[in-house]
Order: sequence, then structure tokens, then C-alpha cells
Amino acid sequence: MSTQRFRALWLAVGCALLGALICAGMLAPEFVDPPNLDHVSKDEYGSTVGGLGFFVVEGAPLGTNEYGVPLHQLALQGASIVAFPAALAGLLVMAFATFAGLVRCADVAWLDTALQAFGEITGALPRMVVVLVVALLLPYDWKYLLPIALVWAVLASPAAMDEAAASAGRLGGARFVEALRAHGFSAIRIYLYHVVWMNLRPVIVRQGAEVMMQVVFLEIALSYLALASNAPSFTHAENLNSWAELLYLGYSWILDRHLGHAVFLSFALIAVTALMAQSFRLAARAR
Amino acid sequence: MKWWMRPLVRLVAAILLPLVVPALITGALWALPGDPASIICPPGACDGRDALAARWGLDQGPLHFYLNWISAAATGDFGRSWTLMAGSPVYDEMVSSVPWTALLVLLALVPLVLGTVLAALGWLPKVLDYVWQLVGIAPAVILALIVAAYITITWGATFGDWRPDLAKLVLGGLVLGVADGALAGAVLGTRAVFEEEVKQRYVQIALLRGETVLANALPNVLPAMIGQMRGRVLHVLSGAVIVEVVVGIPGLGQLLWDGTMKQDFGVVLAATFAFSAFSGLLMLVQAISEIAVALYVRRSPSGVLEEAVQ
Repeated sequence: MSTQRFRALWLAVGCALLGALICAGMLAPEFVDPPNLDHVSKDEYGSTVGGLGFFVVEGAPLGTNEYGVPLHQLALQGASIVAFPAALAGLLVMAFATFAGLVRCADVAWLDTALQAFGEITGALPRMVVVLVVALLLPYDWKYLLPIALVWAVLASPAAMDEAAASAGRLGGARFVEALRAHGFSAIRIYLYHVVWMNLRPVIVRQGAEVMMQVVFLEIALSYLALASNAPSFTHAENLNSWAELLYLGYSWILDRHLGHAVFLSFALIAVTALMAQSFRLAARAR
Repeated sequence: MKWWMRPLVRLVAAILLPLVVPALITGALWALPGDPASIICPPGACDGRDALAARWGLDQGPLHFYLNWISAAATGDFGRSWTLMAGSPVYDEMVSSVPWTALLVLLALVPLVLGTVLAALGWLPKVLDYVWQLVGIAPAVILALIVAAYITITWGATFGDWRPDLAKLVLGGLVLGVADGALAGAVLGTRAVFEEEVKQRYVQIALLRGETVLANALPNVLPAMIGQMRGRVLHVLSGAVIVEVVVGIPGLGQLLWDGTMKQDFGVVLAATFAFSAFSGLLMLVQAISEIAVALYVRRSPSGVLEEAVQ
């Protein structure tokens, strides 16, 4: 398979997975079904021992939890929590990286120095510590994933900006632009096509995709920690369930609850998210 | 830009960081709607809020509170917990939690330092890069969960046993060392820096003279390597919050998490101060190393002029 087809294939996979994530988020029910004890797994004494597995009961293709609530509804709600903030965070990092690369090529020394200083300051503290402090300071009405995702994107942007600026520097920076200008190309064509599209694209797309994946994992981690602490999560409303809920259910599996399918589902969702990011990375690889 | 400019900026930032972070949190606390004292004593839930605010130094504005807090913190007094362990000194919690986090971070650095050294020496085959990358995709929360499950299954019902604590630290450190691309970053990042440097003409000439790559390239790549290592330590510290809570290690990350969940600004201020002080220390080490390397590289080698004259 030629490199171009290989990249097109990965692009198709990445877009399909991103589309699936967004569609799943849009299809998510506002509230999950009420508990249904007919759809649970019971032992010989009639006590509940867990949920039902895949395709055992109609209306719950991915099985149920120990209260008989279909797991696919939890998965859809989880997608609705992460889809938009993760995509926006990825786009924000891509914008930051593009800006840093263009600044290096435009040879604006003071702005380049200012961006490096910004990177030093924002990269000086552990990200999770900043995220927790922001979560603590957020007003109650703002306790959703979006502000946290944007903060994460800003904290992740120095690395992306550094790499994009370094790539632009390796091109030759301002000398590269001057050489193209001597060929008579317009500024828009030089900056957007030759610099960003032809040269910075691998770095920008990879960094954006990675941050998108990181935001999904961050949401799972924060919601899981909240569940483990028996406290409400600050990433979503209380009527919604994160993918962390599936992980948490799956953890009961080790206590001999019939919830192995929840582990499988949560791991599959995480793997699909990672695959989406890797697909975009491979699609944007340099020639 | 002069060579000393960047280390100087780092030195200044390292000193300012532990002072600025609590100042920002204090400012934000006062910028929030409502009275900070109402967090400790919610309206309708308790009486005597004014007296409480006066006792905790919350009645005279953010500047007064911050100056009092930071001057006390300089002497090791981190104030008292607001809600988590209401009224008890935060210092005690800090003293008991910092060693756990320090041990966890040190253990996490073992695979990272090993990966860096082996990649620098060129002893790690490139074929294995896919392995590091594949393992690195796994998020810390998943690996920590597997560790927590393993510990629960193995030692769930045992009390007063040191083995589960040791397993939590060792396996938690391993999780931090490999999860979220930490090890992959260490190996690939180090290799990329060295590969770029080997292309330089001075290294090629040194190779022709029969010298080693490492001896020639190391002084020049050291600032970049130190910068990368600082980034990795920060990455590990960030992940430590997740690993400590999931695995159940009573460290600084767990304390910060508990403080956040309980809206305990006393604990959060102290924990973030500790994190920012440590981060400042890392910055200081980086700045001093950069200055030392720059001075070493710029030192005129002895005997060159005599050789040239002859």
C-alpha cells in the first residue's frame, strides 16, 4: 500500500471514530433507565450478583449493571461528557502550536521570547495540581469538563508550541519564508500552505490528537477519583454517568460480581479513544 | 539573546513560584462570590461566622491573609485545616504525606532514568520503541486500577502487614514511570536529542579522531536533557495525584485531592505551596546546571594556543 493510501486509511479511521464519539454524545439520553431488577444476574438464592452480559437481554446490547440499567446508556452519556470539550481542547492546542510555528517563521523576536516565557510559566507546575485548584475555584454552575479541558489544553500547549517552533526553526525560519517569497508566492500561500500544511501539520495534528485523548483520560481519572471518594464529580452533572462509572463497576468484578462485561466495555472505550488519536497521528505523518 | 538570560529568568521564576501560587489562590478565593469564611461556616449551618473569620485571619482582606499565611509558611506553619480535619494543623498532615510522595516519585524515576541512560548510550534497540509507545498509551488511572485490584486480591484482608504498602509504592512508582508515555518520552526524547547532535560536524570530527560520541556531545546536550528530566518529574508529580488516590497511598496528592473535594483551602494552599516549592527547586537545579554547563563549554581549553603556535 502506498504511503498516501496508508495515510488516507488512517485519516478515515480517525474521522470515523471521532464522528462516532460525537454522534454517541448527541444520542446520549438525558437520564438513564430506572433500575430494573428483572435484568440482573442472580444466584440460586435469588440475590443479585451483578449485571447481565452482552446481548443477553433485549434493549441492552452491551449488558446491564447490577441494578439492571443498560450499560450502553452509560457509555453514550460518557461520550456526551467528553466529546465536545476534548475536541475543543485539541483544536486550542493546534491553534497554539500553529501560532508558535508561524511566529518562528515570521521572525518576530519579541513575540518568540514572550511565547517561550509563557511556556516556562505554564509548564512550571504539575498539570493535575493546577487542574484540581481550578476545579476547586470554579463556581458551582461552571463545574463541567469544558473549563477544565481548556485549562488542560493551555497547560499542554507549551510542549506543542515548542515542538512546532522547533520544526519551523529546522525549516530555516525566516530564511525559508524569504526564499519562497523570492519565488513570487503570496504570504497566505507561504504561511498556510508551505509552512503550516506541508511542514507543521504532523506536529500540530499529533499534539492536538494527543491532547484530545488526554482530556478524555483526564475526565475518566477525575470522575473515577470522585467515585472512589464517594463524592460528586466536578466534570459533569449528577444526572450523567462518566465512562469512569463503567470502570468502577468493572472493579467490582474482582469481588466476584458479574460485571466483567463492564470492564471489557470500559477498556474497549479507552482503546478506541487511543486508536482515534493514533489514527490522526499516523494520518498526518510527515512524508 | 545572551546565554545567561534564560537561566536568569529560570532563577527568578524559581524564587517567585512558591510565592505567586498561594497569592493567586488567595486572590481567586476572595474573587469568588460570597465570603471565604462561609466555606468554613456555611450560612444557616453555624453561628459566629464573624468571630471565626477574625480568628482565622479572613476578616481583613486577601492581602492581610496572604502575608500572614506566607510568613507563617516560611517558618513551617501551614495554618489549620478548614474542613477536612477542621482546626487541626496542616503541618502534621504534610509531614506524614510528603515522604510517601517523595518515595513514589523516586521509584517512578527509576525506569525513567534507566531509559534515559540506556538510550543515551545507544543500548536500547529501536525495535523496542513500539513497545514503549504501546505501553505509554495506557492512562495512569487504568494501570493504577489494575495495581489496586492486584493488591486487593493479594492482601485485601491482611492488616498490619508491610508488604501491601511496599507493593503500593513499588507498583505505583512503576505505573507512574511507564503510564501516559513517560518511559516512551524518556527513551525517544533522549535518542532524538543525541541523534540530532551526532549530525553536528564537531562530533563527526571527534569520531574521526577516535573519540566517543557521548564524551563530546554530552556537555552540549546536557541542558536539553536536564530540561526534559524536569518536565518528566513534573509529569510524574501530576500523575502521582491519580495513583495515590486510586492505589491508596497517603501522600501529598491524596491530601490535595481530599482538600479539593472538601473545599479545604487551608489544605489546598499548603499542598500547592509544597508542589510549587518543589517545582521551584527543580527550576533552580535546571538553571544552575545550565549555568555550570555553559561555563564549562565556554572555558577556553588549555594548550590550544600553544599547539597552534607550534
